[in-house]
Amino acid sequence: MGVIKPIAAETALIDALDGATGWLAQLREATRVQGLPTRRHEMWKWSDLRRAAGEITSAGQITVTGAADGVLEPADGETVELSVSASAGASAAALSVVVKSGRTVTLVERYRAEAGSLGNIHLDIEIEDGARLERICIQDEAEEGILVASSSIDLAVNAHLNQVAFSFGGKLVRNETHVLHAGEHSEAHLHGVYLLDEGRHNDYTTSVHHTGPGGITHQLVKGAVTAHARGVFQGKFKVDRAAQLTDAKMTHRALMLDDRAEIDAKPELEIYADNVQCAHGNAIGTLDETALFYMRQRGIPLVQARALLIESYLAEPLDFISDEALREQLRERLRDRLRAIS
Amino acid sequence: MAAIKQTIDDVRELESGKYKYGFTTDVEQDIAPKGLNTDIIRYISASKDEPQWMLDWRLAAYERWQEMKSPQWANVRFPEIDYQNVRYYAGSKGGVKYESIDDVPEEILADFAKLGIPLREQEVLLGVKGSENKVAVDAVFDSVSVVTTFKAELAKAGVIFCPISEALRDHPELVKKYLGTVVPASDNFFATLNSAVFSDGSFVYVPPGVRCPMELSTYFRMNAEGTGQFERTLIIADKGSYVSYLEGCTAPMRDENQLHAAVVELVALDDAEIKYSTVQNWWPGDADGKGGVYNFVTKRGDCRGKNSKISWTQVETGSAITWKYPSCVLRGENSRGEFYSIAVTNGHQQADTGTKMIHLGKGTTSRIISKGISAGKSDQTYRGLVSVHAKAEGARNFTQCDSLLIGDTCGAHTVPYIECKTPKAILEHEATTTRLSEDQLFYARQRGLSEEQATALLVNGFVRDVLQQLPMEFAVEAQKLLAVSLEGSVG
Repeated sequence: MGVIKPIAAETALIDALDGATGWLAQLREATRVQGLPTRRHEMWKWSDLRRAAGEITSAGQITVTGAADGVLEPADGETVELSVSASAGASAAALSVVVKSGRTVTLVERYRAEAGSLGNIHLDIEIEDGARLERICIQDEAEEGILVASSSIDLAVNAHLNQVAFSFGGKLVRNETHVLHAGEHSEAHLHGVYLLDEGRHNDYTTSVHHTGPGGITHQLVKGAVTAHARGVFQGKFKVDRAAQLTDAKMTHRALMLDDRAEIDAKPELEIYADNVQCAHGNAIGTLDETALFYMRQRGIPLVQARALLIESYLAEPLDFISDEALREQLRERLRDRLRAIS
Repeated sequence: MAAIKQTIDDVRELESGKYKYGFTTDVEQDIAPKGLNTDIIRYISASKDEPQWMLDWRLAAYERWQEMKSPQWANVRFPEIDYQNVRYYAGSKGGVKYESIDDVPEEILADFAKLGIPLREQEVLLGVKGSENKVAVDAVFDSVSVVTTFKAELAKAGVIFCPISEALRDHPELVKKYLGTVVPASDNFFATLNSAVFSDGSFVYVPPGVRCPMELSTYFRMNAEGTGQFERTLIIADKGSYVSYLEGCTAPMRDENQLHAAVVELVALDDAEIKYSTVQNWWPGDADGKGGVYNFVTKRGDCRGKNSKISWTQVETGSAITWKYPSCVLRGENSRGEFYSIAVTNGHQQADTGTKMIHLGKGTTSRIISKGISAGKSDQTYRGLVSVHAKAEGARNFTQCDSLLIGDTCGAHTVPYIECKTPKAILEHEATTTRLSEDQLFYARQRGLSEEQATALLVNGFVRDVLQQLPMEFAVEAQKLLAVSLEGSVG
């Protein structure tokens, strides 16, 4: 493929990133050579970023509060509130997070993307030996914008990652997480919830690469879509020959609430070690009519019964959030949204 | 675990030398010069006395193919194929047609007899001991069909079973109506190549309401050196009919890689059922990964009518590289597609195989059971698509892909694609990757089985769901094949 003719959003992004270094320089180069990803890129099969960005013509601004100079090194026991906000136009930012050996850290990320925005943000996260990171990504205010939040997480031995992604989608919202998993008592938990309506698009893409023995990865992603919305889940576990005794489980379950929505899933396994337990499950369906009937028969109106069932279905991954107040806050957000939908 | 160790050792020993179909047969043949151009296509077409429209179709496909690129997405690695270094046709000397079994050169009959495929009808009954069932065989030797048995008996039932070259002559209207309607000439790189140069393959037409009185079978044999095989099979089950079709394949051991790019098209009309079974045992290459067949096949069934059913069952043990995705387009209301697969890779084999189930009609159902066993230094990928369109209300899919790894130098991969556009569908997918469970082995041993027997029991149990789907005649062969391919673990 030769160099393609850039669209306005690409030109704006390339110009805005002139002189950038590190990940931003890579993004610039990739955009210059290949353009923004389209359906032709296997990893973006169901999320056509280039098409979604068609109306963007100028550069925008992305602001990150909570991380001075783009570097974060939280203290033991600290909870960092990170707020990312993209204004109209194309923009990109990158920051790095280091969780030092033995520390336990919570990172609460809140994302906002205005209408007409294309915000790219990349987090480079290092979890050192014996450290623990709990990461909550909340993408409930990007509903008219385009947001691509990617992260590369380096998980050392004895380290622990617990990630919960919560999203209401957007014009196109993508949470892309890559974990390099060293094994040897380290664990990765990559959960997620999405609830989409009104033509919104959410893409949760994760890839975990087990390089050392005895690592654990557990994943539970649940979603519900309605009214022209589209939910995408792509999960991949790659287990190297050296990563014997890996225990990896992936589950994606989604509800289709009406017939103008779409769910696409690609739960992928690439296994080179024989003494492992790797499994994935994927189920797509709709609300259980008998459960609805039962609830109505007990005097619960249909609308309420539906909302209750959907809420209990979706809330399961939120149980992995250890902060009770935050968990309850997100449940409430879910409840509000369900009320609005039905 | 000693049993696992034993299995690994046995598998290692097995890597070459046990492929009993590796012999070659000297037969006088007309072999086309190497290379691909319009002259070769005209030569192939002329040697089969094809009508003009068929030649035009081939030439159009060739023109299209020249602009296409070999697909890169599969998880297989091989050096670029020089398509000009392949012979596209090897047929009988002087273009002679064998009118009866007595005209077929004794060498070819002996070749098939050695493969366990007796072609003289009186001998056929002896083929499978204890079986009363007759199996009609179309034997394809390189690029031509040498003989088709039981044609007269099938004709009585109205079933047409003949080489596709003969069908073009005797039933051109049927061929013209259906050829390329399931796999269009421009479908993909290998299918387009096939459309340009296809030689023989089988043609089956089962008239309305007829239950085909016997199993139909085609046996493909690649013999001539440097020759690719490009067969094309077309099966049409008219309203309310039923047919079960079996396919077997072998090739001699050669140092070079041979190309096999076939196209199979199935059409099932209202209430019809087609059961298509394959036991694929092309030469997989030697212990160093040298030689072997490149098996790049496009197979697709179209459930065109309501309540129709197409079922693919495959046992894949051969080929250096397999690239094969038997698929079902579920167009008719309440139609059903099934895919049952056992794939065994050993040595340096690479397999990227799976299925596609495209749900278009209301109430369509599909079931996918895939069992992969990787051993040696092989790599295996299940790649599948389940797509449910907006109008496919009430669609149902169940998919299960299990992989078993034997030894620590192989790989097993699962790449399923799931797309759903209606809330009135239920799609389930499960996949696991493990080795033989130590707990299960222990349990079986504790009940008094030897390690060897316990391993055999577990591996048999692992593939049982699929073996059960094979017609009796093939189940026996498939089980033997598995035993040879993974001797030690199957006891």
